[in-house]
Amino acid sequence: MMKNIIPENPPFKLLNILYKKEFILLMVLLSIIFINSNVTPYFLDLYNLIDSTFLFSEKAIIALSMTLVIIARQIDLSVASIIAVSSCVLGYTTSVGMDTYLVISFTLLSGIMCGAFNGFIITRFAIPSIIVTIGTMSLFRGLAYSFLEDQYYNKFPKFVVSLGSDYLFGYIPYAFLTFIILSIIFAFILHKTIIGKRIYSIGNNPESAQYTGIQVDKYTFVLFTLNGLFSAIAAIFLSGRLSSVRPNIAFGWELEIITMVVLGGVYIYGGSGSILGVVISIFILGMLSFGLGLINVPGVGIIIFTGLLLILSIGFPSFIKYFRSKNE
Amino acid sequence: MKNFIKNRDFILFSIIIFGVIVVGFANPYFVKPSSLSDVLTDTSILIILALSQMIVILIRAIDLSVASNLALSGMLISLLSTVYPELPVVFFIVLSCVIGTLLGVLNGVSIAILKVPFIVTTLGTLSIYRGLIYFVSDGKQVYSHEFSENFLALIHYKFLSLSFLFWVAILVFIVMYILLNHTRFGRNLYSLGGNPDAAKYIGINENKYIILAYAISGFFAGLCGYLWVARYSVASTQIAIGFELTVISACVVGGISVMGGVGTVVGCTLGALLIGLIRNALPAVDISQFWQLAISGAIILIAIIINTKTEQRKDKTIMVE
Amino acid sequence: MVVCLYMKLELKKISKFFPGIKALQNVDFNLKQNSIHALLGENGAGKSTLVKILCGVYQPDEGSIFLDQQKHIISDPTSSLQLGISAIHQESVMFDELSVMENIFIGNHIVKKNRLVDWFAMEKKTKELLSNLEADIQPDEKIKDLSIAQRHIVQISRSLVHDADIVIMDEPTAALSQKEIEELYSIIRNLKKQNKSIIFISHKLDEVLEICDEFTVLRDGEVINADLISNTNKDQLITNMAGREISQIFPKKQVTIEQEILNVKNLYKKTQFKNINFNLRKKEILGFYGLVGSGRTEVMKTIFGINKFDEGELTFKNSKLKIKSPKDAIQNGIVYLSEERQNLGITGLMSVKDNINMAIMDKNSKYLILDKLKDLQNASELQEKLNIKVSYWSQLAQSLSGGNQQKTVIAKWLSTKPEIIILDEPTKGIDVRSKSAVHEFMGELVDSGMSIIMISSELPEILGMCDRVVVMYKGLIKNILDVSKTSSEEIVGIASGE
Repeated sequence: MMKNIIPENPPFKLLNILYKKEFILLMVLLSIIFINSNVTPYFLDLYNLIDSTFLFSEKAIIALSMTLVIIARQIDLSVASIIAVSSCVLGYTTSVGMDTYLVISFTLLSGIMCGAFNGFIITRFAIPSIIVTIGTMSLFRGLAYSFLEDQYYNKFPKFVVSLGSDYLFGYIPYAFLTFIILSIIFAFILHKTIIGKRIYSIGNNPESAQYTGIQVDKYTFVLFTLNGLFSAIAAIFLSGRLSSVRPNIAFGWELEIITMVVLGGVYIYGGSGSILGVVISIFILGMLSFGLGLINVPGVGIIIFTGLLLILSIGFPSFIKYFRSKNE
Repeated sequence: MKNFIKNRDFILFSIIIFGVIVVGFANPYFVKPSSLSDVLTDTSILIILALSQMIVILIRAIDLSVASNLALSGMLISLLSTVYPELPVVFFIVLSCVIGTLLGVLNGVSIAILKVPFIVTTLGTLSIYRGLIYFVSDGKQVYSHEFSENFLALIHYKFLSLSFLFWVAILVFIVMYILLNHTRFGRNLYSLGGNPDAAKYIGINENKYIILAYAISGFFAGLCGYLWVARYSVASTQIAIGFELTVISACVVGGISVMGGVGTVVGCTLGALLIGLIRNALPAVDISQFWQLAISGAIILIAIIINTKTEQRKDKTIMVE
Repeated sequence: MVVCLYMKLELKKISKFFPGIKALQNVDFNLKQNSIHALLGENGAGKSTLVKILCGVYQPDEGSIFLDQQKHIISDPTSSLQLGISAIHQESVMFDELSVMENIFIGNHIVKKNRLVDWFAMEKKTKELLSNLEADIQPDEKIKDLSIAQRHIVQISRSLVHDADIVIMDEPTAALSQKEIEELYSIIRNLKKQNKSIIFISHKLDEVLEICDEFTVLRDGEVINADLISNTNKDQLITNMAGREISQIFPKKQVTIEQEILNVKNLYKKTQFKNINFNLRKKEILGFYGLVGSGRTEVMKTIFGINKFDEGELTFKNSKLKIKSPKDAIQNGIVYLSEERQNLGITGLMSVKDNINMAIMDKNSKYLILDKLKDLQNASELQEKLNIKVSYWSQLAQSLSGGNQQKTVIAKWLSTKPEIIILDEPTKGIDVRSKSAVHEFMGELVDSGMSIIMISSELPEILGMCDRVVVMYKGLIKNILDVSKTSSEEIVGIASGE
């Protein structure tokens, strides 16, 4: 008797690919590259393109762990403030003459502790993460301010400075390389391991996940701690690149990072999204800033454009639906 | 009587009085009527914004764009006043409110019609509106000497030794109290936030309420745009940066639940007063300005935790021991 | 008794289509004035679609609606209310944080000339309504503090305030105690005297036969039969609904019960339950009966590890059991299927295959990496066994029909190869045919070696399926009875605290 074999996927239709989020994002990226390269000859210059990655690599690193946080139906507004704290620790440990490996360890530890603090408050008291991280956003940034007052650090270990501003083999910036490697690791974790499945499950239906035996609180705690760690990693690259740490470092970065994630097709209420989408969206935003900057659009204009892009990219499908239903 | 003492708002009120007394011991100058009046004046804008934010939080949303809205409206009327200084101040106040309302309606339409989640929408408009300030002002400030007399005069009015600003806050409090407790619109806000699916069955038009809520939030952001600019006699791209977080903290401390459908006007006002007290008390007890952000953040977190613990539903009693 | 032949509501040739589904086809429905009219049919027969059309949530694709012999279009919920149609739903259309008074007047507050709410008038009217219904409820009590029966009374009051002429009741007695059901019947008869017409939806055929005047049976979106109740009987109704004769509602299985497998000693949780002592034997079906709120679900949730208990001991197959979370319970072979099937079982945005494998991901992976082959094997096995209709594995779980979603949830739990299955109201709100299928399935499970604890509020089910029944009342076990040696009167009596 022939067993009825159920296929894994629906029959392959080219049309279906066209509707996929990642494909649309890819098209947007290609159009931006096309437009930019026609508007200015400096765009397609290899060295310029490579240097442009410095501006978004640090944010991109955090965007990866933020993706997991958002898929798990949480949000973390305190990442920029954690960068501030970690940078302060970085600067301070350098100034008291510690060895490089100790400097880096303490910096990473500070990020982990901030993230763990977030995770603890959220899971122990069951307070929505948006509220908790609004609070810790001020608390952590405040700690940086109270520590530095109106001073700043500008001495960092050579290793750190090199990490932030140098290239591997003279071509690939370390920060960008780290981002690419991490994105491959995260894509693997999210899509090929049970950890990823559990995160999707938690984001889609946290109660059901709990009943299935998934330890929701443990995962939530770890995800926020991870976010803290990655903020600290970004802080190392950033401080190395800027060679200066003021308490207002990375101000406003949390919004840009969340934009990277949401523009990448990750649903803000959790349960769906892919690393690939986020990576493409990071490139879209990066190329956009870079291109607009080349034609002398002020930074502010880029911010406005990014905000509009975010809202319209999500609103567009509903817009179409609205008009379709009106015409029926 | 026991219920009254356990009442949230009463506890908040006691904490505020207690705080004033404690600070008064450390710094007697703080409890002078004129100092207290200054604290109230300083907190007025926060009270107004917290009350209007409350309406949005009641329907399970947040408006992160209020500070940018405030700054943009303030900048626009300031620029206009340098060009037409002879126009009466009322004109500018009304214009500011109108601009604010429009900016708010844009939020509402994006959320209700375009179905862009409120987090994404207001994060987006937060940046867009802030960015627009640069555009209209070319990055330059409007300095105090550039404002006309009549523009600034109103702010300095004092009635019964309380400032104009505080009287506006009182007025807004009264209006909000009536709106939320004694009108159909207000009561429907509570039901929409408490059980959105059920509210739709009853015939409450969710989209209409969303747009109206954000319009109101925008209206008061616009109003505060004038108040802020007139009070500090400066309009710049930097004003009120990050203030939306203070506003939301005031609401949460005041007992407005992010889950929607829960919260009182009195509680919200007390929450704003408590935050305002902290902001003014810290410098009064000689704490360096650099520590203030951290301490405010810590106190807000503690308040939120306490808040949540008292709010959490205890298991329904099944068995009597 | 005056028989009124005036037609209050007529639905003529109503059809409603959804992509791929004919929810309603050429449906005629006639509601006489002053009549209690039963709307019967299995899950998916079209009842809820019909109700949603009457409430203005859906628009019919074909056909017309006549009220008081005049044609009307019900375009949205507000129009429905204005036309005098009001519905009391199974799901809570209640606002927990608001008072009884506000819930009654929700969306419809009485206002004074100056547009301000008239609290005084509302309170007065509320007291009047509540006393007419003989309810012991205060206008300022919050809904979250009321019992389910009291909430029904508030919903009924709301219908009366809307001056509804037609009241639709959807499974109104689903969660009520016997006493509360009797009270509800008298309220319904009272409404009839007040010239209201009632559409009564219920799966309990005994109830329908007792209280209703007429009936309409839907099957697969069409009207199969519509007549006076006096012209039919239970068997005929079952045949109408199911399309075939169902001879055995409770397929009695022959199973030899073996030794004790689970022992619960002195389980205690503050304010929830105390002195919980019982045991479960292998291949046994142990029933848990009690009024809603008697603590049965709380006990089970504790055994499953969702909640912590203050004191007590669990023994499984003669060794002590330490359960701190659902993970522990599942690893020990104990699974729990919650009452709220939709919410607590399915992860809609994930694929059907992932859903089925959700609880055994540990076993199907090596060093945390998914083993696609094992996943596929397990999913195929269970899909075949339970006959889950799915087109391809990557299909999202939310795209399955309700029945198939339920099967997916069961598949998920069966994948863990459990020894004890705790079912919490497994057939609540389910029609006769599907009920029978569930019972048959339960029989197969115990036959293959599993043991079942079943929480149920339906006596026929308890008496028909269980070997023993634990009766609870207000957090205590009142008695554990051998089903073959007791009667429904005895069980009901114990459960009500006598």
